[in-house]
Amino acid sequence: MHIPDGFVDGKTAVAAGVLSTIGLGVAVRRVRREISPRRMPLLGLAAAFLFAAQLVNFPVAGGTSGHLLGSVLVAALLGPSAAVVVVATVLIVQCLLFADGGLSALGSNLFDMGILSTAGGYLVYRTLVRRLRGLRGQIAAIAFAGWFSVVLASVGCAGQLAWSGTVALTTGLPVMAALHMLIGLGEGLISALVFLAIHRVRPELTAALPSAGPGKAAASTWEYGLCAALGIALFVAPMASPWPDGLARVASRLGFADKAAAPLVPAVAAHYHLPGVHSATIATALAGGLGTIIVFVLALVLGRILVPTPPATRDSSC
Amino acid sequence: MKPAVVVRDLRYRYHDGTEALRGVSFQIGGGECVGLVGPNGSGKSTLLLHLNGLLPEQPADDACVLIAGEPITRANLAAVRRQVGLVFQDPDDQLFCPTVAEDVAFGPQQLGAKGQDLAARVERALALVGLAGYGPRAIHHLSHGAKRRACLAGVLACEPSLLVLDEPTSDLDPRGRRELKQLLQGIPATKLIASHDLEWIVGLCSRVIVLDGGVVVADGLATEVLDDEQLMLAHGLERPHVLRHHHPH
Amino acid sequence: MLKDWVGHQHGRRDGLIQRAPAGLKLAVAMAIIGSTVAAPGRGQPGLFFVGAAVLALVAVAARISPGFLVRRLLLLSPFVAGVILANALQPDFRARALVLTGRSALCLSTLIVLSSTTPFSQVLLVLRRAHVPALLITTLTLMHRYLFVLAEEEQRMRRARASRTLVATRRLHWRVLGTVVGHLFLRASERAERIYDAMCARGWQ
Repeated sequence: MHIPDGFVDGKTAVAAGVLSTIGLGVAVRRVRREISPRRMPLLGLAAAFLFAAQLVNFPVAGGTSGHLLGSVLVAALLGPSAAVVVVATVLIVQCLLFADGGLSALGSNLFDMGILSTAGGYLVYRTLVRRLRGLRGQIAAIAFAGWFSVVLASVGCAGQLAWSGTVALTTGLPVMAALHMLIGLGEGLISALVFLAIHRVRPELTAALPSAGPGKAAASTWEYGLCAALGIALFVAPMASPWPDGLARVASRLGFADKAAAPLVPAVAAHYHLPGVHSATIATALAGGLGTIIVFVLALVLGRILVPTPPATRDSSC
Repeated sequence: MKPAVVVRDLRYRYHDGTEALRGVSFQIGGGECVGLVGPNGSGKSTLLLHLNGLLPEQPADDACVLIAGEPITRANLAAVRRQVGLVFQDPDDQLFCPTVAEDVAFGPQQLGAKGQDLAARVERALALVGLAGYGPRAIHHLSHGAKRRACLAGVLACEPSLLVLDEPTSDLDPRGRRELKQLLQGIPATKLIASHDLEWIVGLCSRVIVLDGGVVVADGLATEVLDDEQLMLAHGLERPHVLRHHHPH
Repeated sequence: MLKDWVGHQHGRRDGLIQRAPAGLKLAVAMAIIGSTVAAPGRGQPGLFFVGAAVLALVAVAARISPGFLVRRLLLLSPFVAGVILANALQPDFRARALVLTGRSALCLSTLIVLSSTTPFSQVLLVLRRAHVPALLITTLTLMHRYLFVLAEEEQRMRRARASRTLVATRRLHWRVLGTVVGHLFLRASERAERIYDAMCARGWQ
C-alpha cells in the first residue's frame, strides 16, 4: 500500500507533503491536550506495536494473507490525534529505516494513511459508536470504520496517482476502490478481533473515549476532516470527470455525449455498471454505495457473532 | 545519624481491590546492604516502587516512607529521586534511549549536567560497571548481562545515596552474577536488593527482610534468618545451600 | 522481511560511506530522489544512467550485498506491473513503463543505500536539528528502540499459541491471531507505563 518513489510526481508530492505537514502539526498540538504525560511513552510503544502487528499474517487462501493497517484501531484506543502521530511515526520509520514507501511519496503516504484513513475512519467510528449501543455496537463500529478507512486511503492514493498522470482516475479509482473494498473486509475483521481481545482483558482501555467536552472533541475532528476534505478536493474532484479526454471527443463526434456508453468505458470499469443505469460516474457511485451498505450490514452481523450475548446478562468473570 | 530509609505501617491496595501491602515497617541505616526476599506475589516490587515515590499514585500527606528523615511528598519527589536510584526488573523497560551513552546521560541531564561535565559523568558510570567504551553502542545489540550493567550505570550516574534493585540477577549466568556481586560490593551507597537468588543474597547482604502476604515476617542477620529452615519453608523459600555447610557457632 | 533487514543492519560494516555525516547523506539522497521525480516526461536517459552508475559505485563502497538490493527491488514489481496494466491502452506505454521502472528503481536503491549506511539515531539527530517537534522525535525514538523488542514478543507469543493449536480451522486461526495482536498491544501498553516509571525514577518531569 505504500507508494514507492516515481509514481507520484513533483507537484503532487509537494501538495501532499504540505497537507500532511499541516495535519501532523494539528495532531502534535492536540495530543498534548488529549494525552496525559503519563501516557506519552505509549505513543512510541503504540507505534512499535502497530509495526509489529502489521507484520502478522492473517491467512486468506492459497498463499495470500491479510494484514492489519490499524489506523482506526489505534484511534479507537488512543484518540484521533494520538493515532495520527502514531501512524505517521510508523510510516516515517518504514520509509527511512526499511525503504518501504518512497521518500518523495512520504507526503502522499502520510496523507492517505495517516490523515485521511485515520481521521476519516475515526469520524465514522465515533458517529457509529454514538448510534449503536453496547459492546456489539462498538465492534460493528470498529469493523465498519476499519473497512472504510482502507477504502478512503485507496481513494486518496488513486487521486494522487491520477493527478501525477501515472494512472488515469477512471481506471485507477474503480480498481483501487474495488480492490480495497475487498482488502478492507480483512482490516475490519482484524480490527474487531483485536479490539475484542483487548476488551476482554482491560475493558477500561476500550471504553468509548470520553470527550473533553462535546465542543472540543468535535473541533479536532473537524480540523482533520477539513484537511482530509481539502485533499480529496485537490486530488480527486478535478479528475473526476466521467470521461477520459480522448473518449469524450470520440463520444461527442459520434453523438453519444448524452447517452449511456457502457461499451466505451474502459473494460476495467465496465463491471461497475448496473443494468438500466446510464452514466459511468453514477453507476460507480451506486455500486460503491451498495458495497458500503452491504459492508455495514456485515459489520452489524459481525458484532452479533463476536459478542454472542450482551455483556449485562453474561458472567463478568469471563 | 538519621536512618537512610524508614517505612512505617505502609499499606497499598491494587485497583482491583487486592491488598498488596498490609502494614510494612522497617528501617535501614546508612551504608547497610539489605536483602528483601519473599515468595512471588509477596509485594516486593510494589514495596520498592514506594521508595522513590512512584507509588502511591497520589502522594499522601501522611507519608509512610521517609528517605534520610524526610517524608516523601508531592513537593520533594524530584529531590527523592535524586537520592534514591531504582533499578527495575526488566532492562528493556528502563533502557529507553537508542545508545548506551544517551541512556546513561538521561539522569544527569535531568539534573542539569551539560557538555564536558555530562560526558565525564557518563564515562565514570560506565567505567564503574565495566562498560567503558560502550557509549556509542546501540542498546538492542547488547547482551542481557551488558544491558543489566547499562541499567546500573544509568542509575549510578545520578550518584544516589540509596540504591534499590529489583531482581538484578534474573537471567544472568553464573559469571554475570559473580561480577555483579563484586560490583555492588564496591559501591558505598546504602543498598536494598529484592531477589529470589538466596545464595547470592547471603554472600552480599548482611541483613535480610522477609516479606510474605504484604507484611514483614522476619528481619535480621542474613545468616540467621536464611538459616531458619522452618521459616524459609513456611514462606515459600528455602535454606540456601551455602548455609547448610556453614556452622556459625 | 524483517529478519532480512535486521541481519543487514547488524552486519553494517564500517566504511567511508558509513562514516559520512548523516545530514549529508540525507541531503544527497533527497537530491537524487527529488531530481529523478521532478525530471520531466521522458527525462534524459543519459542522466539516468549516470545516476545509476554513481549509485552502484556507492553501493559497492558501502558493501551492500547485491542479492539484498535485487530482492528489495523485485518488491517494486507489483506496483510497476499494476501501472503498466492500467496504462496498457495508452499510445506510448512502453516508453512510460521504462521510465517508471527506471525512476522507481533508482529512487528505491538510493533509499536502501541511505538506510543501510546511516544509523537511525543519526537520522533522528538531523530531524531534531531541523526543528521537527519534540513529541514526534520522542515517539520516533521510542518506536525505533522497541520495534524489534515487540516484533520478538509477537513471534514468541505466536509460537506459544501455535504450539497449543491442535485444530487447524481458519476461523480459529484468525481469532487466535487477533488475540495475539491484542495481547501485544496490552504488553506494549504496560511496558509504556513501566518506561514512564523508569523515566520518572531518573528525574524526568
